[in-house]
Amino acid sequence: MSITPSPYGFARYLGRDENHDTLAARNTRLSRGQVIAVEIKRSEQNGSFQRFHVPYEPRMRVLDALNWISENEAPDLAYRWICGSKMCGTCGVRMNGREVLACWEAVEPEMKIEPLRNLPVLRDLVVDRTPFEKKVASFEPWIERRKNYTEFPEALTHKEMKDAAKALDCIGCMCCYSACPVIRLGAVTDFAGPAPLVQLGQTALDPRNDPAKIKRSLTQTGIFNCVSCYKCEEVCPAHIPIVSQVIEPLKTKTARLLPHLAKHSLALRAVVAARGRVDPTALLLRVQGLRVLAKIPRALRLLVRGKIDPIKTFIRVKTAAYAAAHRILSKGPELE
Amino acid sequence: MRKITTDVAVIGGGAAGCYAALCLHNKGIKPLIICKGLVGKSGASLFAGNLVLSGRLLGNTEEQAKNTAEFLIKYHNQFLIDQQWARRCGEWIEKNYYRELEEAGLYFRRDDEGNIVTSPGKIRSIAANVQGNSGVPFMDLRRKQILRAGIERLEETTATALLCDEDGRVGGVFCLDILNGEYVVVLAKAVIMATGYSDRLHVRSTGTREMSADGIALAWRAGATLVNMEMQWWHTNDAAYPPSWQRIQIYPNPMLGSEKSARMVNAQGEEFFNQQRDDPLAFGPYTVQLKALAKQVHAGKASYEGGYYAGFDHCDPKEVETYTTYAKPFHQLGLNFPGDMLETAVTSHYRQGGIDVDIATMRSSVPGLYVAGGVGGHSNGLIALATYDGFSVAESIANNLDGIPSKDIPQQSIDREVKRLSFLRESGGNGLSPVQLKEKIRKMMWKKAGVEKNESDLRSALSDIEEIRNHVLPDVRIMNKTKSVNYEWLDAIDAVNMLDACELIVQSSLERKESRGPFFRQDFPLTDNNEWLCANVLKKSGNGVRFERRPYELPFFQPGFALRDNLEVPW
Repeated sequence: MSITPSPYGFARYLGRDENHDTLAARNTRLSRGQVIAVEIKRSEQNGSFQRFHVPYEPRMRVLDALNWISENEAPDLAYRWICGSKMCGTCGVRMNGREVLACWEAVEPEMKIEPLRNLPVLRDLVVDRTPFEKKVASFEPWIERRKNYTEFPEALTHKEMKDAAKALDCIGCMCCYSACPVIRLGAVTDFAGPAPLVQLGQTALDPRNDPAKIKRSLTQTGIFNCVSCYKCEEVCPAHIPIVSQVIEPLKTKTARLLPHLAKHSLALRAVVAARGRVDPTALLLRVQGLRVLAKIPRALRLLVRGKIDPIKTFIRVKTAAYAAAHRILSKGPELE
Repeated sequence: MRKITTDVAVIGGGAAGCYAALCLHNKGIKPLIICKGLVGKSGASLFAGNLVLSGRLLGNTEEQAKNTAEFLIKYHNQFLIDQQWARRCGEWIEKNYYRELEEAGLYFRRDDEGNIVTSPGKIRSIAANVQGNSGVPFMDLRRKQILRAGIERLEETTATALLCDEDGRVGGVFCLDILNGEYVVVLAKAVIMATGYSDRLHVRSTGTREMSADGIALAWRAGATLVNMEMQWWHTNDAAYPPSWQRIQIYPNPMLGSEKSARMVNAQGEEFFNQQRDDPLAFGPYTVQLKALAKQVHAGKASYEGGYYAGFDHCDPKEVETYTTYAKPFHQLGLNFPGDMLETAVTSHYRQGGIDVDIATMRSSVPGLYVAGGVGGHSNGLIALATYDGFSVAESIANNLDGIPSKDIPQQSIDREVKRLSFLRESGGNGLSPVQLKEKIRKMMWKKAGVEKNESDLRSALSDIEEIRNHVLPDVRIMNKTKSVNYEWLDAIDAVNMLDACELIVQSSLERKESRGPFFRQDFPLTDNNEWLCANVLKKSGNGVRFERRPYELPFFQPGFALRDNLEVPW
């Protein structure tokens, strides 16, 4: 089978061809006159799902189905939308378990529609945006220049703006915020979440911004709690490479400006650079220091189960991959 | 009920409202923004595709500077504009606009060498980050400037009435918080109406969900004079379907970094519009396109509801996708880009007319009520013009605020509004739902006050409006009486405003007995510069309306003919 690369890059769409789930397939699966079964989570029925049958119209979007339901069967259905064309970012919902922009996503033959997760639900599909807004505001999302602005146009190249420009495509729809498994953990971590970080990236990755200002914003991101699972990228309707072009560059910036926040990551990097592999013992020693002495029983259990290997850690330090790791990491972003 | 006191209440969170609030704040005057959607995320400003260069900016030649002015006056406003104002506006844009935006952090798209990328041609434009999406970072920046300044916002809050003192001076705004159903009274020394250009009054409309002509209706009810309400602009190439994509436009404007722009073909595949070939001076060639389409419709080769196509099949995909978002609908529909064309249809877009404004002071005819941006009747839309209005209105208010007497709002006018809104929510009718009512109004407007108008259709529209107001509206059925996120209630409130605005539009359309630009009268097909090169002024008179004509002066550009078939007029 031949696989056509997506216009937005290849990896994130891997498997969609085999599953007949390309954009072309999604837009041609149904034809006029067919009936879509839609189930919507309703607040006033204690969160149970109400079922509707909606006639398919060509190129129908999820929003068209909601509009049809509102006009014909449930005028009291609460759902938010403003522009209907992927610009305002207010119509995000979960459809069949994935986050979509209602105005942008093609309908499916059977749809289960729920509000976005990780935000309080106000009614039906309408969520409270305030937690997101507050987080963004706490970053002071604007630029402060080191030197006064003088004249239009200022010196700036697209190369320098490459990452920030990607972040500027963000419409604040919070699909990624709903999809993020770390945010799902709640207060266990202080992770700001992908959407607020993309908003931060707009100014923190802007070369015009004063590093002192960026440093202030970066202190409260909890960014190293990101597990790089790429769920955010997968659902982003604006096709922003959230992990690779926003979160990773922000992590690098944090490591450079606030190394104490990146202790674990810097230690891991140093371990790999020195040994050519991940060594859990060495990592633990670097991060925890003498505090490991208080955890001797746990270390013994790990040893018994073969999770740590003191011989490798203390005697055969370098692996065959050392040279390669050294070469790659010495090319990476300058941290110190 | 919550009461808030501020210096100036700004109704609208788009380009005009935000900039007015920022300028007032910088002058030490306290503004408060009332926004029916979300500041910077609702209304028409979000849709700014690119930003037109005026004056001698970025190497514009003298000729290009003149072209931009000519475009604004002719193609954008069909001469229904104060040309001296247009000049002042152009000068302000050249000196202040781009500079202010860039200083605040807006990113004007560069290439890798650092040159700002422009669209070439007779009129040039640039983009904020990406062409087709400029309004998004632009308005996001405004949202964050408002945040940084600590300006108070009432979002997802609809203004339902202007509150006047006993002398008829506007001194406050009655609002409803849509999310929690709470009434809010905002008391202010002055109110700025900045609710934008485009309202969803037709079946197909570029207006966003919340735009139901509230600004027009509220101002009219407070006694404001209106002007040129019939001058409705249309998009001719917005996606014919899905229905929610009415405002997905296959932009006909010149592209950044390319000599080409979208072309349009009829049902038989014959090209009938290509901006670069047909009229390179028509930068946003909407009216020229509409006239070209009308000829196709008359020849049976297209209809205003679809059956014709737009796209980029004559372009290299890279040419389109390097600096623009123009390919996004094609990709999302799984079409081949650029090989496939998209079926398109006509959509009502901006209204050139609106509240009558004294452009020296940005005052309406009602004391205490100021106007900025598209809801004003002084110019048709461009995000730069709306921004200039924000600047002008703040200057004017700052010069006068001390002279404005403090006003007492009679409690009974607040009580009256509470009663009106509560009655709508508790409506025990058994007829249409509010959203069905809105659709009914839009269908009627599309059919009887659509692209091509005539006296009998317009008169029939007036009687429909009367019928809806007297019989359908009182029987509206509201299923859920909750105060929390009740869009049914909001839709009922909207419908009242829509009916008021539609009636005024239809009345004004009957009054202008000519065709001009996008305003087509089948019974008056000629553009008549003898009689109608003037503002169609609409005043409240007892229970009815009274029309006056006010001619425009033509110091810089003149049409150069007296009478001509409108379809043969290039603008």
